Order: sequence, then structure tokens, then C-alpha cells
Amino acid sequence: MSLAFEQQLIVVVVLLLATATFAGIEGLARGQNRQALISGMLISAVIVLGATIAGRWLREDQGPFLTMYEILLSNAFSLGLLFVIVSWRVAAVRGATFFVCPVLLLLAAWMLLVPMVAVPLPATFDNYWLWVHVASGKLFLGICLASACAACVLLLVPRAGVDRRAALTEDVAATDRAVWTLFMLAFVFHSLMLLSGSVWAHSAWGRYWSWDPLETWTLVTWLMLGGILHVRATFRNMPEQMGYSLVIAAFVLAFLTFFGMPLVSSAPHKGIM
Amino acid sequence: MMLFWKKLASLRLTLVAMTALAVLAVAGTRSPAVDIGLTAIPLGLMSLNLFAAILTNRSFRTQTGLLVFHVGLLLVFMIIGVTVATRFDGHVEVLQDSEFDPAGVVVEQRGRLHHGALDRVTFLQGDIEVKYVRGLVRQQTRSTIEFSDDAGNPRRVTIGDKVGAEISGYRFLATFNKGLALVLRWQDDSGQTEYGAVHFPSYPQYDWKQLATWTTPAGQVLELELELEQPLLRPNASWRFERPDSGYSLKVRAAGELKGSAARGERIVLPGGALGVEDLRLWMAYRIDYYPYLPWMFVAAILAIGGLAAHFRSRYLAATRNTPAAIDEEVSRAHVVGI
Repeated sequence: MSLAFEQQLIVVVVLLLATATFAGIEGLARGQNRQALISGMLISAVIVLGATIAGRWLREDQGPFLTMYEILLSNAFSLGLLFVIVSWRVAAVRGATFFVCPVLLLLAAWMLLVPMVAVPLPATFDNYWLWVHVASGKLFLGICLASACAACVLLLVPRAGVDRRAALTEDVAATDRAVWTLFMLAFVFHSLMLLSGSVWAHSAWGRYWSWDPLETWTLVTWLMLGGILHVRATFRNMPEQMGYSLVIAAFVLAFLTFFGMPLVSSAPHKGIM
Repeated sequence: MMLFWKKLASLRLTLVAMTALAVLAVAGTRSPAVDIGLTAIPLGLMSLNLFAAILTNRSFRTQTGLLVFHVGLLLVFMIIGVTVATRFDGHVEVLQDSEFDPAGVVVEQRGRLHHGALDRVTFLQGDIEVKYVRGLVRQQTRSTIEFSDDAGNPRRVTIGDKVGAEISGYRFLATFNKGLALVLRWQDDSGQTEYGAVHFPSYPQYDWKQLATWTTPAGQVLELELELEQPLLRPNASWRFERPDSGYSLKVRAAGELKGSAARGERIVLPGGALGVEDLRLWMAYRIDYYPYLPWMFVAAILAIGGLAAHFRSRYLAATRNTPAAIDEEVSRAHVVGI
């Protein structure tokens, strides 16, 4: 698969996700359920992203682990795939597809703006712990995305006599449970990501922790996740909306840590030494 | 007394300590004015809070997974404290075909309770080889050393990107930093001879600037420039950084003025003596660390994550599998007893 064809596939993904996003907005404005259409487009986008990764992997003989484009590509795929799996298993979060599509659209559009050329992997990437670290990181972010988007569904307020939530969820209580169950699971995978990252760093760079920006903000994200779970246990009369807002804020922080920090600090997590 | 521990186990205190840790972590890494070591205060507070919670929180008795998570987390914090107190971090450059010299180690961090014996570590630096691919991207590093293990048996180990060498508890890990070194001979006017090596800047990072400054025993400051007859690096192809087998020469300047040039076996006459070029070798920089309690921290962290996973399975996953009525009861109970 050529680089030009790969770029065309990303354009297809952008079009699919943009169409899904606008279809969702239009459906919500009319109070209509467009779940089947949006989910179909999301699944199609995930399939195209998977094909893009497979083609690139065969061409470059290495996985998409290093450049900003590759980080965006692999995460757009993993986030989309994980959400599809979660929504297949947990019906209560299916309405969150409406919010997942714009997030993936952002990543896909970003891919068109960054260089696509591959860079050979440094030797420090040849480590099993890195696979555990990357896998647990992707599981964390994907599950956190599902939790946050389900929380967005529950934050939508009724307007002008139309309960817009009805277009996205039929069972508010089940969606609430899904938000917190997924959030707790995200916390488990985040903990595993921190641990496996430390083991990899100790093996590759001779230190298990060095307070680089990515490590620091990952720790802050972990503290925020743990803090939110403690807040929920401490302030039992806290309004539901407050809890959902905190879940969304945790995802935003995780998102900025994943995709914002590589712009600030590239060397420590790329093994360029 | 129990009241004291109950107050110390407050979830509000947990939140305060977590927030303080997050704020100090960000401030400590962004501003040189804030010592990152201050994070020890909220970590200590969290440890006390965790200990008190484990002692007094009745909900832990019915939620084994949650208890295991908190015990594991407390152990992690305690081992972090021990690790910080006993750690050693440093780096050193070692010349090919020569012995490691502990006096050359640059200490980065040394815990107050560090009791290792770096002075007793010895090894002989052997061959060094680093592979590069197109675009000057570093691939495998292989650095061979020879030493005697704790039982006195001779050992030959190749240090790579994934494997370090552990000698007397100290781990030596190869870094990206390596370069060329000239072994020089200084013979003063009275005939006395000294040998030494000058390490040139890291290669290939400073391929264009293989310059070093050296002061002769007679007190003259010299600028030394290493010139290779054939370049080692190939930016657009695969190549290996290893001991060059092509010709080379040394140019010597003093205050910008060229004093002479010498190939292997030749010498340059200078005020107070003569400088001879003996050999061209490589040097390798190693990170040295000493973290004897790190495996225990790993075990404690695994314990914590295992506990968290068990808690998730018993409290959250089980709730979603039950009937709607049971779920509501389970969720409200979970709310009352904790996370």
C-alpha cells in the first residue's frame, strides 16, 4: 500500500466520521434516534483504520508506534474498536456513539496535518514490557472514552419539552452504572499502564521514574481518577451532574496527556537518545 | 487513640494529599524554584492516611479486593521511601581495552542510607559495536565486558539495549553516549613517560566536531583535533560504529596556532616534552544504578493492581450481572461503604 493510498484511506475515515457526527447532531435536533446509522459508519471507519494500519505495517515492516501520525492512527483505531466492543457488550452506552464520533474525527483530521513518513524504531522499543504498557494505555483510554461519552449522554438536559436524552438512552440508570463501572475499569488499566511503563523505562533507560512531562501528567491523571472515585465515596449527596462532569474532565486530561504531551516533550518517550 | 486513627483515615484527607501531590508534581517539574523532593510530604501523608484507613475502615473487612489494593499501595509508598534512601545513580565513560575506574564515576543521586561498595567494582571493557540504519537511527548496541562475579568466577557479558550487567548490586546499562578516544603518550624533556586517553565528543552526534582540550603536564593548553581518513558514519545507509581500521591523525593547536600533526606512532614536539599518538579506541558511557528494593516494589504494585481488579470484579462487574433490583441495592451499598 502506497503512502498516497494510505492518505486517501484517512480521507475516507474523515468523511465517514464527519457524516456520522452531522447525522447524530441532526437526529438529536429532531429528537430522532440515528443509532444504527452512526454505529454503522463508526464500524466502517474502524475497519478502514484497521486496513490502513495493516497496509502500513506490511510496507514499513514495523508497527505504528513512534511518530505523531502513528500515535494518532493507532489510537483512533484502538479507541474506535474498543468503543465498538464495549457498546456491543453494554447496550447502555450505545447512545454515546454520538459523542465518540467527533472525538475520533478530531484524531483523523489531525492525521491529515502531520507528516506520514515512518521513522525506524529505536532499539529500546524491542521490549515485551512496552507491549504491555501500550496495550494497557490503549485499553485505559478506550474505556475512559466510553465512560466519558456515556457521561455526556447523561449530562444532556431536556429542552423545550423534548427530552433529548431519550434519543440517546432509554435506560438512564443503566447508563449511570455503565459510566462508573467503565470508569473503575479504566482506573485498573491506568494503574497497569503506569507499572508496565516504569518497568520498561527501567529496562530501556535505566530509571523507573524521572518526572518527565508525560510521566508527571500521567501520574496527575491517575491521581485524578483515584480522586474522583474517592470524591464519589466521600460526598454521597453530590449531584449526579457533578460526578459526570468529573468523569468527562478526567478523560479530557487523559486525552491532553496522550496527545498533547508528545508535542511538548518528544525525546523521553520516543527513545531518541 | 482509635479516634486519632479514625480522623487520620479521613477520605477528605486522602483528597487533600492527592491534590497536594498532583500540584507539587506539576510545580516541581515546571519550576526550578520548587524542589520535586517536596512530593515526599504528600506521599508521607498518604501513607499515614492509608495505614489509618486499613486499621479503622470497616468496609475493608467486607471488600477484600479493596483492602489488598490499599495494602499494596501502602507497600509501594513505603518501598519508594526505602528506595530513595538507598539508591545510587551515576554515569561513567569507560575506555575500550582498559579497566573501569570508580574514581571516574559522576554521581547523580546518592541516597543517605546507600551502603553499596562501588569502589570494589572492577571490569575490563572489551569490544563496542553500535548498529545504525538509514537516517542515523540507532539500533542494537553491543558492549562486551569481563569481570569476576561475587563467587570469583570469570564472566564475560555483552551489555545491550535490553540487558545490563549487574556487578556487586550495581547495574551498568549502555547509553547512547559513546565515541572515539586517542591513547596518547607524553614524554617530558627528562625522558619520563606518561600514558593517558583523551575522549572526543559523542559520536556520531558530534561527527563534525571531534575536538578536545588537554593540558600538558608542562602546563600548555592544547586543542586536539581527530581526523579520520575515511568517515565512519553513512547517513543514507546502514553502518556500524566500531573501532576504525582506517588511518587517522591528530592535529594539535595552541592558542589557535597549528603546532603539528601526527599519525599513529608519530609524535609532536612541544614545550616541555613530546606528545605521541599510540592508539585509537572507543569509549562507552554507562548509566550506573543501584536499586536493590525495586523487585519488591514491583511485587507490591502487582498486588495492588490485582486487588483493584478483584474489587472491580466483585463490586462492579457482579452488580451489572445481577437483576435490576439487586443492582440498585448493590450500587447503593457500594456507595455507602466506599468506592
